[in-house]
Amino acid sequence: MKRTLEYRPWRQIGCLTVACVVSGLIGIAGDTATHDGSGPQQTLSVAEILKLIDVDAYHVPPLPLMTNKNYARSAADVEPFGAVKPFKEHFLAQMEYTGPGRAIPEPEHVDTVKIGFLGPIMPTVSVATGGKSHEENLGIAMLRGCRLAIEEANAKGGYLKRRVPFELVVRNDNGLWGASGNEIIDMAYKEHVWAILGTIDGANTHIAIRVALKAELPMLTAGDLDPTYIETNIPWVFRCIGDDRQQNYILVDYLFRKLNCHRVAILRSSNRYGRFGVREIRDSARRLGRPIVVEMAHKVGSRDFTMQLDRIQAADPDAIVYWGDGEDAAHALNQIRARGMKQPVVFCDRAVSDEFLKIAGPNAEGVVCGYPWNPDRKDPKLDAFREAFKKRWGVEPDTYASHAYDGMNMLIWAIQTAGLNRAKIRDVLAHRPDPFPGVTGDIPLSAALDDAGEVFLARYENGRWKYYSREDMGIPSGPVIERPRVEREQASIR
Amino acid sequence: MPTKPKLLPVQALLVAFTALPALPLSAADSAPTDGEPGLPYVYTKWEQITTKDGLPNDHIFAIKADPTRDCVWIGTEDGLACYNKKTRKISSWKEKDGLPWRVVSGIDVDPKTGDVWLALFGGGLARFSAGRFDHYHQLNSGLVNDVVYGVAVIGDEVWCATTAGASRYNVVKDKWNIYTEQNAPMEEIWNYGVSARDGKVFLSVWGSGILEFDLATERWKHYLDPDGEMEIELYRDDGVVHVITTGVSYVDKTLWVSTYFGACRYDGRNWRGFFAQEGGTPSDFNNAARGRSAHECWYCTDKGIGAIVDFETDTWVVYTMDPDTHEGIAEVRRAGKILKTLRFKQGVPHNYVLWAEFDGNDVWVGTSKGLARAIGEGYYPRLRPLDTQTAGSGSRP
Repeated sequence: MKRTLEYRPWRQIGCLTVACVVSGLIGIAGDTATHDGSGPQQTLSVAEILKLIDVDAYHVPPLPLMTNKNYARSAADVEPFGAVKPFKEHFLAQMEYTGPGRAIPEPEHVDTVKIGFLGPIMPTVSVATGGKSHEENLGIAMLRGCRLAIEEANAKGGYLKRRVPFELVVRNDNGLWGASGNEIIDMAYKEHVWAILGTIDGANTHIAIRVALKAELPMLTAGDLDPTYIETNIPWVFRCIGDDRQQNYILVDYLFRKLNCHRVAILRSSNRYGRFGVREIRDSARRLGRPIVVEMAHKVGSRDFTMQLDRIQAADPDAIVYWGDGEDAAHALNQIRARGMKQPVVFCDRAVSDEFLKIAGPNAEGVVCGYPWNPDRKDPKLDAFREAFKKRWGVEPDTYASHAYDGMNMLIWAIQTAGLNRAKIRDVLAHRPDPFPGVTGDIPLSAALDDAGEVFLARYENGRWKYYSREDMGIPSGPVIERPRVEREQASIR
Repeated sequence: MPTKPKLLPVQALLVAFTALPALPLSAADSAPTDGEPGLPYVYTKWEQITTKDGLPNDHIFAIKADPTRDCVWIGTEDGLACYNKKTRKISSWKEKDGLPWRVVSGIDVDPKTGDVWLALFGGGLARFSAGRFDHYHQLNSGLVNDVVYGVAVIGDEVWCATTAGASRYNVVKDKWNIYTEQNAPMEEIWNYGVSARDGKVFLSVWGSGILEFDLATERWKHYLDPDGEMEIELYRDDGVVHVITTGVSYVDKTLWVSTYFGACRYDGRNWRGFFAQEGGTPSDFNNAARGRSAHECWYCTDKGIGAIVDFETDTWVVYTMDPDTHEGIAEVRRAGKILKTLRFKQGVPHNYVLWAEFDGNDVWVGTSKGLARAIGEGYYPRLRPLDTQTAGSGSRP
């Protein structure tokens, strides 16, 4: 199985680039370099990877480390400090694990192969969100996707090397900050799980990955879209869903480059999800010379947005960005429209939910949201998953269920391939030569082990969500220079 | 709960001497030229200690020298150990011996009482005193979270860096304070390391840079990455190199900081960043920083030890292990150039280094595959011209 270097969905995006990709600077995103970061490109099959990672405790396998030439496909005109050549640019070269873990032998006896699940599944108090927890509907969807993947794997024989079943070790992450850390420790040292999937809340996930790093345990999120999750340089951390940075970029391009907005306002929740969710929109707007005219925050669960909307209305924006939970989004939208404000309002992906539609009613018509995948895609895998999910749970799978299903299947594949060794499970996930073929689409990982696949826009039209790529909607992008900033003659085109 | 320490003989502690014939030690080789600042001391004599010698586990998270007991405390992924330097015997404690939780991620010793304070990774905080473990956790004390990464004793206070804030325990008044985003300038509350000295407590906080707490004034000071961006380091010397910090060490009014993105130093007036691309440190992935003076700091990286031994001349000694021969390697580097490479029978036990501890002239190094003691016979700080270096230590490059 050879890596298909030609697989670069962002190349299609590049075709639409109005401000043309700077000629002569186009490199190959997703290239691999040799172990020391120099020399010719090298690709390895899974069999070759398995051979290389069969090392003692002291050697580091000479695996090719992926390098990217542009972090997160950022357009030059929205890169930070664009007029300055930075001293160093992070996340362009894949991190490696240099510890002794690959030499740990498989345990002689296992009854089940345990995989951890961390997610908000039971209501509780959350300091992180300032009160009652609010993400259980997302967490339960995620859990259902994971359970289905485990059940399907077990129906096919479980862990094939030993013919023992997979077991999902389920933990709730809502609660006081830090609870997720305790749960990861419990799973790492008491349950002896081989990998963990979780979670959604950015704060809880950050706490969890710090523990995963020390305990040397692969952790993959299918529901935390916080860009900083992956921006930690931890070689044990993966994500299989397009993050808020990517959603921000497509919304920025939609608002500023397609709709030509000049005065955009932001309304967001006051928690970490809202704070970090709009960060690239806020920064990009400023860098494009069209700074956000007003940014207002509200408490999670708010139902009265009068104060925030008074300020926003006074600023006379020509579009509004909302970032928060689906129910809050719907109430905010209704109050915006009740004021007679006709501006386009764009949302994060959490608005694409039944709760949002129920509350927003006719106001939902025409709403545009960022979205991490295209559920309208024609794919037999997706059809089969939908059917199986509906049969198992009696409901349609949402984005959290679908990505969790993909994420759990990635972990199962890695365990089946690498065996019962956490470091080797990490290795095959991190160095898999081709994108994982998920029901949400192919999942290519960047050098930072983030999902580098395409993101979409969802628009509610005539009673249903329709999903559009950049190409579909003719959304231009800024100039993406595929060359590290420190190597460019000029920092940016500004 | 009283526990009986289990004494284990240290078997086959190999002391390796560096007298390898290939060392380029001739005067012609090493003599400083005009204006050359001289060369640093290099540790070439190392002992390695592993489970074969009685350690409860080879994954070493923490080390603390205890001069009054003439021993060294060792925190591992599965137990606590104490190495008696006179007898070379190791005592160890696991959960069955009363240790409240298996993973010991930080250690400090109260110089007044001799109490040993243990940060337990997922198990809270423990005091080991007179053979008894007292256990402090979220449900019986003011400890803000049970995932404790670091502990530091200053005066009557024990400070804990936890994954959900910092806790401060006054052992005399039996009083706890908790510091989070509510009452401290923590943009995030994910504390990672703590260093306390000279009336100040420094916290390295994942997502919040470095926090300084002045015990006299009870005031906080905040050091963040000035560029504020996750994906770039705008200028090398503009401040903390990244908002995600992993360790801090305060000595001689100098702050040494480690991150997974590089490292840095602050003398109260100027910052200086250190990055692998400049040829000093072997890696930007730093698990910890351990300052020895204003001039010297040992950075514990995923590719060996990067010890800056003379800040003014940008002189480093990088200690690694040859994975093929298991020999120790020391490279003396200055301003990006390798001045000397020494090989010796054994050095660091593994290149994934998690902690270092100074013990007089010696240095203890904890890795994910064993513990090592670098023996500092004839140690001298900073640099010396060759003709004034102490003869016979086997440590001149």
